Amino acid sequence: MRRAGPNWLEMVGGAIALSLVVLALFAPQIAPHDPTQAVAQTFGDPGPPSLAFPCGTDQLGRDVLSRLIYGARVSLIVGLSAMAVAMTVGVAAGLCAGFFGGWTEMVLMRITDVMLTLPGLLLAMAFVAILRPSLLSILLVISLVSWTGVARVVRAETLSMASRDFVLAARALGASAGRLMIRHVMPNIAPTVIVMAALSTSGTLLLDAGLSFLGLGVPPPTPSWGRMVEESQIYFRTAPWLAFFPGLAILYAVLGFNLLGYGFLRRRHTR
Amino acid sequence: MLYYLIKRIAFGALVLLGASLITFCIAFVIPADPAVAIAGAKADPHTLATIRAQLGLDRPLYVQYVRYLGRALHGDLGRSYARRQSVSGLIVARFSATAVLAVCAMMLSLVLGTLGGLVAGAYRGRAPDNVLLTLSLTLVSIPVFWLGTMFLVGAAAYVRWLPLGGFDGARSLILPSFALALGSAGYYSRILQANLAEVVGQDYIRAARAKGLSPARVMLHHALANAILPLVTLAGLDFAGLLSGVVLTETVFNWPGLGRLAFEAVFNLDIPLIMGTVLFSSFLIVMANLVVDLLYAWLDPRTRLA
Amino acid sequence: MRMAPHGLLAGALASALALVCLGCRAHQPARLFPPDAAVLRLALADDVPTLDPAAGYDTASWEFEQVLFDTLLRYASDSNELRPDLALSWEVSPDARVFVFHMRADARFTNGRPVTSADLRYSIERVLNPKTRSQGVQYFLPLLGAADFAAGRAAHARGIETPDPYTIIFRLDKPDPIFLHKLAMPFAAAVPKEVVERWGDDFARHAVGSGPFMLKEWLSGQRLVLIKNPHYFIPGRPKLDAIVALIGVNEELQWLKFEAGEIDVSSIPPAEFTYVMKTPRLKTLTIHHVTATTNYLGMNCRMAPFSDVRVRQAFNYAVNKQKLVAILNGRGVVARGVLPPGMPGYDPDIGGYPYDPAKARRLLEQAGVRAGFAPVVWLTADPTMMILGQSIQQDLALVGVDLLLKPVAWGPLLDAVREPRAVQLFLLGWGADFPDPQNFLEVLFSKAQWGANNDTFYSDPKVEELLAQASVVAEPARRYALYQQIQQLIVGDAPWVFLYHPVAYVIRQPWVRGIRLHPLRPARLDHIYLAPSVAPRGTAPSAADITP
Repeated sequence: MRRAGPNWLEMVGGAIALSLVVLALFAPQIAPHDPTQAVAQTFGDPGPPSLAFPCGTDQLGRDVLSRLIYGARVSLIVGLSAMAVAMTVGVAAGLCAGFFGGWTEMVLMRITDVMLTLPGLLLAMAFVAILRPSLLSILLVISLVSWTGVARVVRAETLSMASRDFVLAARALGASAGRLMIRHVMPNIAPTVIVMAALSTSGTLLLDAGLSFLGLGVPPPTPSWGRMVEESQIYFRTAPWLAFFPGLAILYAVLGFNLLGYGFLRRRHTR
Repeated sequence: MLYYLIKRIAFGALVLLGASLITFCIAFVIPADPAVAIAGAKADPHTLATIRAQLGLDRPLYVQYVRYLGRALHGDLGRSYARRQSVSGLIVARFSATAVLAVCAMMLSLVLGTLGGLVAGAYRGRAPDNVLLTLSLTLVSIPVFWLGTMFLVGAAAYVRWLPLGGFDGARSLILPSFALALGSAGYYSRILQANLAEVVGQDYIRAARAKGLSPARVMLHHALANAILPLVTLAGLDFAGLLSGVVLTETVFNWPGLGRLAFEAVFNLDIPLIMGTVLFSSFLIVMANLVVDLLYAWLDPRTRLA
Repeated sequence: MRMAPHGLLAGALASALALVCLGCRAHQPARLFPPDAAVLRLALADDVPTLDPAAGYDTASWEFEQVLFDTLLRYASDSNELRPDLALSWEVSPDARVFVFHMRADARFTNGRPVTSADLRYSIERVLNPKTRSQGVQYFLPLLGAADFAAGRAAHARGIETPDPYTIIFRLDKPDPIFLHKLAMPFAAAVPKEVVERWGDDFARHAVGSGPFMLKEWLSGQRLVLIKNPHYFIPGRPKLDAIVALIGVNEELQWLKFEAGEIDVSSIPPAEFTYVMKTPRLKTLTIHHVTATTNYLGMNCRMAPFSDVRVRQAFNYAVNKQKLVAILNGRGVVARGVLPPGMPGYDPDIGGYPYDPAKARRLLEQAGVRAGFAPVVWLTADPTMMILGQSIQQDLALVGVDLLLKPVAWGPLLDAVREPRAVQLFLLGWGADFPDPQNFLEVLFSKAQWGANNDTFYSDPKVEELLAQASVVAEPARRYALYQQIQQLIVGDAPWVFLYHPVAYVIRQPWVRGIRLHPLRPARLDHIYLAPSVAPRGTAPSAADITP
């Protein structure tokens, strides 16, 4: 097998993802100000971008740049852990469905079909509102509406694997189902899983941002990009910069993981 | 064909049953006391007690579920706590605004996606393809609520004649439809590009080229016709995603549709209205999928024979 | 087959366009009336919850209910003085237990039938009937026999007598000096029995009353249209031919429509407020008043450490109320006590708690509250509340308290605060229903209201005793003196952080006249008229339009 070097999609996407991780980890060192306390004594009206505050200040006198930097934390935590949970559940469900077939497959796939047909954001909104917004509830709800796409793809891959010679051979040699799945099927669907992981991170990030925008995100003072857009939306005529930067931050993060995902995908196709 | 149709309808019914179960769960995992929601902010202890006695939430859960299902089948989705009106009435009143927006956005995204996909397909592997890939990935990555807000910013500053939200007249459709459509357009263009790449490699396209037909003609008349079919299915499947986008877009543009209704229901934790909007959205999605299935069957003779 | 995709797209586009045009037609209210009709054009952010007077208990519903229906008494347009409405005259017994009303004979429902005392009795009994699930029950339970009627043990409430079609007598089981005000609430409005029974729960959609306007059209989420009642009992009133309220127009859009001259009265969104106040031609068009509302941070006096008065006082010193008002662009008055200014019994000399973080830190230290104390404040997920909550969060962080915000929906918030030991802190407001201090001090701080409106679970024996004394005193000076004494005790005990009294602003077009804001109620739309001489309709106001 010829190993290709990283393509440009992977490189840009990876750089973006890495920069986000650095921002999130070292937010206290990087951010110029406290993201929650007032640094400008202008209450009520947002302050325009200036040398001291490159992204302006909000109606509570807080520095928007510092809030953006800290905002990477909650986005990454929610985005990545929701992705991890969704991937775990989705891969497990997809593997089982593809491998065992019959009733297991039937039940699992009908559940995914139903879930895929329901309006995801609407369900997430309803569940978060009922469970009340918190890091944990948001994370769980996002995972709940995100795992089904993964399950479907993994099942399809597993199905094609399960009929391959080496799996059939292992099965003939009496390998247990669990061993088969983990030792033989998993490694072969790993590339797909990695692509799905990157792509579903962009999905979970967007869903989290949407929930935050609707006021159902992690509650303040934790800065969150979606909520920042929501809080500044009313200033679209008088202080447009206020909504511009946090949305750009969301776009940056989501695009990063999408590039990464497509990069992986392209690598698989060229292999 | 008939068998296929029956199968699809049965599946739709299954989805709706699942949706009804989920919405019912939403209503009953909820810790809040509906009496308080009905009595409102200034109820005295006596009023609260009276209302609790009136509600009669004392039957077993499965009985309540069956009753709920029975009423839902007759179009009765209960009464909204916050609005004191019938949920089905509210939904019917808001439906047209959402339908207009969703249909416009869907058409727009298909048209833009097809154009983008065609260009990318034609220049496969060359610079415009990479530019379009980046563009479509960017579109897919833009949060729709932010795109909408930026449209508002731009229109407020530069385009005086565009309504900045609300639903009055065709002009007011422009901003929200574009905001809603661009993300899907990016997605469709990627898919179309991939489909084209697959189709182009096939024998009959090569044959058409060998006959001396111009590349544009081959692309448009032979490749596109076959590559666009899966796109139609995809658009149907994507309808659920579209409705999610509708919630956000309607909130940004203050659009008097179902999405805002659902948002308000969630904001007020108005349980009957939440259940109603989720159930109705699922119904819409099931119908959209059914329509797409039929279209597909009608367009593609292979399924017609099946 | 080959052309199919294109045909498909074209067909779908055509159907989309058809839908759009359908939509447009449904959204052109301008052609509802002849061009010279006096139509007041309003816009509302949310749909009106109801138009059924037994059901409505919110500003939006009352704004329209009070011009669709009549009560025996109503308020003057800009004061808390009671004026006759369906009543011509009335007598109150000296012990404030018997109320006799002589009604006017020329009032008619818009279906043509005269309004009689039997209609009023039916309307109030409808509120008392538990099947109606009215939130107004509490106000009429003191009527003799009301409980028996509500329980289905009597065909009528004994305390309502109708000796003839135009006389009605109310008898109470104990003195109630503010009963007249209760009769001025929309809950006590006359509704026609035959129409209510015909529509049942949907009466709101087919509301029929006797007021100056009648319901013409209510398209949910789109618009509400009221037209002049031509047979209204005051000749020449109302001066408007119709009121058209567009629904689902948020504050920002209202403002844009106002600037474009498309609506006549608008609220002012926070983002534009500074600009409006800096622009003289706009500033002169604004109308404002301090609402009879107090917004507060409630502290549960039964939950440690808020059971310690020093902690509650510390919170009062720690919160920068001036900053809250600044965040509201000055649309508030810092609260120093429970009662809002303008309320009878308001005490201008009450000291309250100035912003003093040092003192707050000292008090917390004395009470043994350690650094890292992280109480949870419950509040509605409303954007303004969230901003104010974050400001309080900032203030408390400066005295070593890590306040956590718990945004929830309105219903669950009320549900939770009514549980005895569930919620430590909550952000709420209380708006007066009656111009009487009892409506704040007893309703919010008496032990009888635990689990209902006294959500801090505050109770003090001295306060209880004084409340019982004051509630039956009819003579104003003595009554208000007692309530001032009660308020002093409560402010000292500090079950609330007294935050601010909101100031409401609206802006009108230069041609809109007669608009007055009422201290308690939504503005009365039937007093508004349009000045025909000013500016062609549909253009934005300019400096020349403003006449003093």
